[in-house]
Amino acid sequence: MLTKKGKYGLKALVHLAHLPAGQLAFVNDIAIGNNIPKKFLDAILGELRNAGFVQSRKGKDGGYRLARPADEIKVGHVVRVLDGPLAPIPCASRTQYQRCEDCNEATCQVRHLMLEVRQAIAEVLDQRSLAEMRDIGLDDLTVARVIDELPVTVKVQA
Amino acid sequence: MSGRASSIIPNSIIIVGGGASGVVMAAHLLKSTNPDLRVTLIEKRPHFGQGIAYSTLLSAHVLNVSAAGMSAYADDPGNFWRWLHGRGLVDQEQTPQTPFYAPRSIYARYLGELLDELEAREQPTGRLRLIHEESLSITPTASGVEVALANGTSVVAHMAILATGHDEQPAQGHAVRMGSEADTALDPESRVMVLGTGLSMVDAFLALEQRGHRREIVAVSRRGLLPSPHRKGNPIKLDVADIPLGTQLSYFVGWFRDLIRENQKAGIDWRDVVDGLRPFNQKIWQNWPASAKRRFVEHTKAWWDIHRHRMAPEVYAKVTQAVQSGRIRLVAGRVVGITPGEAFSVDVQSRHSQLVETFDVARIYDCSGIVRDISTSSNSVVRSLVDRGLARPDPMRIGLDVSANCEIIAGDGTVSRKILAVGPLTRGTFFEIDAIPDIRIQCARLSKQLLG
Repeated sequence: MLTKKGKYGLKALVHLAHLPAGQLAFVNDIAIGNNIPKKFLDAILGELRNAGFVQSRKGKDGGYRLARPADEIKVGHVVRVLDGPLAPIPCASRTQYQRCEDCNEATCQVRHLMLEVRQAIAEVLDQRSLAEMRDIGLDDLTVARVIDELPVTVKVQA
Repeated sequence: MSGRASSIIPNSIIIVGGGASGVVMAAHLLKSTNPDLRVTLIEKRPHFGQGIAYSTLLSAHVLNVSAAGMSAYADDPGNFWRWLHGRGLVDQEQTPQTPFYAPRSIYARYLGELLDELEAREQPTGRLRLIHEESLSITPTASGVEVALANGTSVVAHMAILATGHDEQPAQGHAVRMGSEADTALDPESRVMVLGTGLSMVDAFLALEQRGHRREIVAVSRRGLLPSPHRKGNPIKLDVADIPLGTQLSYFVGWFRDLIRENQKAGIDWRDVVDGLRPFNQKIWQNWPASAKRRFVEHTKAWWDIHRHRMAPEVYAKVTQAVQSGRIRLVAGRVVGITPGEAFSVDVQSRHSQLVETFDVARIYDCSGIVRDISTSSNSVVRSLVDRGLARPDPMRIGLDVSANCEIIAGDGTVSRKILAVGPLTRGTFFEIDAIPDIRIQCARLSKQLLG
């Protein structure tokens, strides 16, 4: 599942992908513009820097920018760094496997299906670049619009 | 051969290079049932299936991969083992799962016989033609390609696939290559130096043993590391969803070290972790930024290679015994000066103490690996493609720049539809593409791509 951390990280990267090449953004601006708690954002950007997706500069004119062109950074690669192995449920991971207390993983059909689901997740997220995500026109998001137009009381929470 | 063909035959493909990768490529193309297919395999050496790796006659030179991994066919992994079994070359009670490291000369025989069988089978169809001649150049024409041969004639086809394998560059400086003309008779009581401590050094040691050489072999490389031995194991299971892709090298290495550590805590051998990563190696490489690839080649590859490219346990036992007895001396350092004379005085600066030690040796063997700058290739076909801008080196210059579909990329970035490449030449794009288990998959995929 995409955690808040993963979601915030992607939002921050999309923010940076909007900047002209080479220009840096202040952490504060990214935080305010995307409604992300500043302290959390600091930690997230630090991890993204360690993995080589963003670069930072200290000082008065400091800030963050993408380390590579936005079309070279794949969404799935970012999510793995922030959230660990792509997995719909914790037991459907080979390296970060967490055993479910209440079932037998060898015979659990749910887990078997979820292992298949994670391949599909990887296939989608590893094909999409930050540039593509940045350029998604809001008009194209028919599904999202329909959800947004639902009465508030039954609105699906992300 | 009648010189220039008058018309282009549909579905005609020339394979330039008839070593292991050329034979494996031909075998996969000929699995097609298309009756109009025409495959021409061109090799300058007297025998097909015997490139640099498999032309050794020494029985001590065994494969570095167990028999089960060496089938020529991607979809029939048992093929080589059955061939061995059929000729009584493995113990009858052995199973395909028993590790068995066959002599490389036996493997050359396997490829040779496989090609003979294909030739006999295709005799009535005319789908396979073998040419013993050196290829000089490939030139794209309006309808296909023309391959010029050293005898002054040429062959034409729709496409050409380069399968020229490892580059045979002359040794550097005063060093000679094992088995080359410069490798003349040697006093068995003379000390020799080997540049490199990897699998090629091991081959050199085994060859020297065979020739009765007895004195010290000084083996020098930057880190002085010996490759590890194989051990029968079970590669761990990984999915692509588990593996961090597209990160900086240090991040990936940190993840991989942690993965090994966690598995070792659970009693799992590091080899099973290294081998578990294998199905994803090309994907990992292709997703790295250029800076990570460069760093890997410069700093990490030496470590990777000794863990990933291992040797048969029997060979490892022989080598470590030689190191313990002082027959082989491993030196981590670099050569800083060579004074030629009756013998060579070689100054080697230690990696650790920085002190310079001088070795007097009768001969220096170059076993420093096969990755060199491709634009200075000794292969005339490769060099002429680069010189005319029809091909370009990959960003690391360890091979030719090719697309994910094995198509050669020209100097101006144009992707060729007519000239393709397989095997070590494509390592800039496919990373680990030196060994049969990887090459056969590449050939199977390319065959499907071209012939459906």
